[in-house]
Amino acid sequence: MKPRFLVYFWYLRHTEGDYVNFTVDQIRAIMDKKANIRNMSVIAHVDHGKSTLTDSLVSKAGIIAGARAGETRFTDTRKDEQERCITIKSTAISLFYELSENDMAFIKQGINGSGFLINLIDSPGHVDFSSEVTAALRVTDGALVVVDCVSGVCVQTETVLRQAIAERIKPVLMMNKMDRALLELQLEPERLYQTFQRIIESVNVIISTYGEEDGGPMGNIFIDPVIGTVGFGSGLHGWAFTLKQFAEMFISRYAAKGNTTMTSEERCKKVEDMMKKLWGDRFFDPETNKFHKTANGPKGKLSRTFVHLILEPIYKMFDAIMHFKKEEAASMLEKLDIKLDSEDKEKEGKPLLKAVMRRWLPAGEALLQMITIHLPSPVTAQKYRCELLYEGPGDDEAAMGIKNCDSSAPLMMYISKMVPTTDKGRFYAFGRVFSGTVSTGLKVRIMGPNFTPGKKEDLYTKQIQRTILMMGRYVEPIEDVPCGNIVGLVGVDQFLVKTGTITTYEQAHNMRVMKFSVSPVVRVAVEAKNPSDLPKLVEGLKRLAKSDPMVQCIIEESGEHIVAGAGELHLEICLKDLEEDHACIPLKKSDPVVSYRETVSEESNQMCLSKSPNKHNRLFMKARPFPEGLAEDIEKGDVTARQELKLRARYLVDKYEWDATDARKIWCFGPDGTGPNLLVDVTKGVQYLNEIKDSVVAGFQWASKEGVLCEENMRAIRYDVHDVSLHTDAIHRGGGQIIPTARRALYACQLTAEPRLMEPVYLVEVQCPESVVGGIYGVLNRRRGHVFEECHVMGTPIFVVKAYLPVNESFGFTADLRSNTGGQAFPQCVFDHWQVMPGDPKDGSSKPFTIVTDIRKRKGIKEGIPALDHFLDKM
Amino acid sequence: MLYLVGLGLGDVKDITVKGLEVVKSCSRVYLEAYTSILTTGGKEALEEYYGRELIIADRDLVELKADEILKEADTSDVAFLVVGDPFGATTHSDLVMRAVHAGISYRVVHNASIMNAVGCCGLQLYSFGETVSIVFWADDWRPESFYDKIKKNHSMGLHSLCLLDIKVKEQSIENLMRGKQVYEPPRFMSVSQAAQQLLDIIQKRREEGEEPGLSEDMVCVGMARVGAEDQMIRTATLRQLGSCDLGPPLHSLIVTGRLHPLEVDMLRLSAAPEALAHLEVMDSSTYTS
Repeated sequence: MKPRFLVYFWYLRHTEGDYVNFTVDQIRAIMDKKANIRNMSVIAHVDHGKSTLTDSLVSKAGIIAGARAGETRFTDTRKDEQERCITIKSTAISLFYELSENDMAFIKQGINGSGFLINLIDSPGHVDFSSEVTAALRVTDGALVVVDCVSGVCVQTETVLRQAIAERIKPVLMMNKMDRALLELQLEPERLYQTFQRIIESVNVIISTYGEEDGGPMGNIFIDPVIGTVGFGSGLHGWAFTLKQFAEMFISRYAAKGNTTMTSEERCKKVEDMMKKLWGDRFFDPETNKFHKTANGPKGKLSRTFVHLILEPIYKMFDAIMHFKKEEAASMLEKLDIKLDSEDKEKEGKPLLKAVMRRWLPAGEALLQMITIHLPSPVTAQKYRCELLYEGPGDDEAAMGIKNCDSSAPLMMYISKMVPTTDKGRFYAFGRVFSGTVSTGLKVRIMGPNFTPGKKEDLYTKQIQRTILMMGRYVEPIEDVPCGNIVGLVGVDQFLVKTGTITTYEQAHNMRVMKFSVSPVVRVAVEAKNPSDLPKLVEGLKRLAKSDPMVQCIIEESGEHIVAGAGELHLEICLKDLEEDHACIPLKKSDPVVSYRETVSEESNQMCLSKSPNKHNRLFMKARPFPEGLAEDIEKGDVTARQELKLRARYLVDKYEWDATDARKIWCFGPDGTGPNLLVDVTKGVQYLNEIKDSVVAGFQWASKEGVLCEENMRAIRYDVHDVSLHTDAIHRGGGQIIPTARRALYACQLTAEPRLMEPVYLVEVQCPESVVGGIYGVLNRRRGHVFEECHVMGTPIFVVKAYLPVNESFGFTADLRSNTGGQAFPQCVFDHWQVMPGDPKDGSSKPFTIVTDIRKRKGIKEGIPALDHFLDKM
Repeated sequence: MLYLVGLGLGDVKDITVKGLEVVKSCSRVYLEAYTSILTTGGKEALEEYYGRELIIADRDLVELKADEILKEADTSDVAFLVVGDPFGATTHSDLVMRAVHAGISYRVVHNASIMNAVGCCGLQLYSFGETVSIVFWADDWRPESFYDKIKKNHSMGLHSLCLLDIKVKEQSIENLMRGKQVYEPPRFMSVSQAAQQLLDIIQKRREEGEEPGLSEDMVCVGMARVGAEDQMIRTATLRQLGSCDLGPPLHSLIVTGRLHPLEVDMLRLSAAPEALAHLEVMDSSTYTS
């Protein structure tokens, strides 16, 4: 079994390669210093160099010999990850970093000593695995956003950043792959500065678009080189810097000229002042050693400080080494006080460049400083994250425990994912302690996502068998773990499907479930090649469902086993895991198909009446489509079932011009109590209505899960209960009478409101050279796609084409695109929206009709959409 | 011709002579088997006594496939047997309406129903208010409308006959949604279960600071298997009934209103110790609890 979640715990010291292992007791001691913990994710678009960069952090500890960092992807532990060169599962690593006394003065939040525990999670960049990112973000407070400075901000950068901000995760930026800009593109320093400036702006635009007004309770979270929240460098070559490093170099140079007895605070102030001069429209006059605010110096044009003082030395170093100007290089090394090993001195060209740059501007040092100084500790972060994390009242014991990060408060822990153990079929529950302390043998309440306070559904009270620290390829038992830390639990897996809340507080509500940015819209049917292997398949599917935060394993009415994932690649990996790791049997797989949604396009053309089987009860209802945007608001979580009623009503009235009375009488969301369809009570003074409410709601959940057209989920439909006539005696209006009646009425409403089919649509982003743009159009047109944006990435020969492509047309798209562009175009597909398909599904010649017919056949339900009179009764 | 024939409450022999003649002469005979049951003897006992085959009519058949019952009823005779009276506790109006719409004439053969047989406990039928059903509570479905009706009857001094829920052939909600023809085992509410639900409501309302309107010390009458040889009548307070055992189904419960001295005398015949201790005298001819 391949361990996917590795926690490496190494002691990093300023001197390279010199590290010691910690004992579990020592680690436990650091865990108590909550102000010195940094939980962070590394997020980026695929191929922007996250894993390589992470390696350079780890390489500082000497796990990978210094010279090989950048060549081995340390965090990609699966064979397929190594082969494909992409990260599939997120990987956690713990680092220990000690700040110098001078650097501690930069920290603006509480600290407790100079040692810092950094829990870093490297997550996949491919959109198909975004759910891994979501799970990583939940347990962290800060994010290192990595952007390839050549390609700039890409679609997945935006997606993950948006998610981070929605979870109140503070971002810092790493401008990666500077080596490419210098060596391949050979950009002029000023052009490179402009490129950086543009990327920073794009990132800040995303932050301001999706962030709260004025940053909300997090304060200003815009990234800015001047305050040191932007790093520049090359993960591949192992070097990086922020303005702080250069500012310090200048300060110490001046300090050397006299004033040597600065306190840390004075020095910090000086460095911070200096950093302000190193970015933006600040110019340097080398003649006078003075800074100016305009480029017009006394003797002609001045160059920008960033260009003159930072980029040019780097450029010179590159030039000297790559063009074998040995003497120039040697003098620069001396000037910068860079001492090479005898081994490194033998090198030439690129290897020498790497060695020099790594000595001069060690990436680990710059990044670890940026992380410890600018990312929040759990103490800082949980104060403002609590209201987003916890569903219960903001002043109960659990909420106060989270807000204060109080290890003596009741336990509140969120399980964000399941990690397979070496013991086949069992999982570690991986998550973060937000309040209290979790310990081996502790009796806890295990609450799944469907738990509601006061009820027993989805609730188990069990002892925790073991609390563990995940260290490398093996795990270490640990007695207990206080809040603010990330931990694994043994013996919880069989009570949770994927995620959940663990608590000791009797009245605790759930921690909020994670919102995924992708949905499982692509599905395949699987069966065992050998029918007698069915039990193994069923068991394997259960394990697969646990091991991936997003994948859905469903058994259809027809007995088919369905695996649904975010995209073709995601499914491919899931099926491979299922076949090789979880079920361990040969499988037969169907071609992938997509999920559809059923909706309506008009208001029902008549009042729909359905009578209960005993004819004593009558329901009168109508359907109508949502106003545009409401379904998305529900999916985003802006309008939810658990929201405060008045707040929700006001939102609906203000934004969608709902009637104020109706807006307060929403009975429920569906399917699954949370979906994007609504059941609204618009009756006037009906007796006993509240006694049949639950039955109507159950009928609605049923109908909205399986629409009348082809039993796909409904979407964006509002159903109004207009009137109800009931038998006076409760016995004649029980669930058996009302539930099927409600469903029939809802189906009648759907059929009379011009039903339509919706299909999922991808946003496709393709990067390519200009010459093949025509080929991309051709491929997209053949597949019902349409381009809505085409732009040239400034300073590069790269073109970016953005288009919408129906998911149904996306199978084989990547291969098709590569073959039509000579392998020069690389697409990224991310689920974007649901789109109504033109054409009436009842019309035999329409495309939706064909789709409905196929789905019904596949699901083994009666051919043809049932006629209206199945559902509609006469007065 | 469609005959709706009441079977009475006790055993197979409770059918009327007229009813028996109808059963013997009809081409098809249905036995309605979901709103009530004969306490002694099932389908087999009836078939043996009537000397002919019966077709069981479950809820599905009566509510969803009624046309099957009415098939050829215009040219031949079909009998539909109902425990109690066809228009008593359960009304089969829908079947009659369908028959009339299909041009089939119908006739009713009456019999005793729980609605009138309750008189045997000594309470006068004249002083009964609206009849209510007490339904089985589920985890998340606890209707209380029957309580309010009893309260209303009580405030007007009327007795309330409570029919207790029976579930003969019901699907669970899950099976209903999956369309599985899997049925739950039959369940019959006992007097003690019904009393317990009423006690729960009283307590809940009191906790919510509401005037419950009814009390634990009210005089109630629990009845089991009325009309059968082993029928049982127990007069007791609601609290006492909460822990009584009246044996096998079917059970009914009466919550008394104002009582005439003669009614009190009759109740004494079946009263548990202390059952009538809380009776108050309103005037020389009226008691209440």
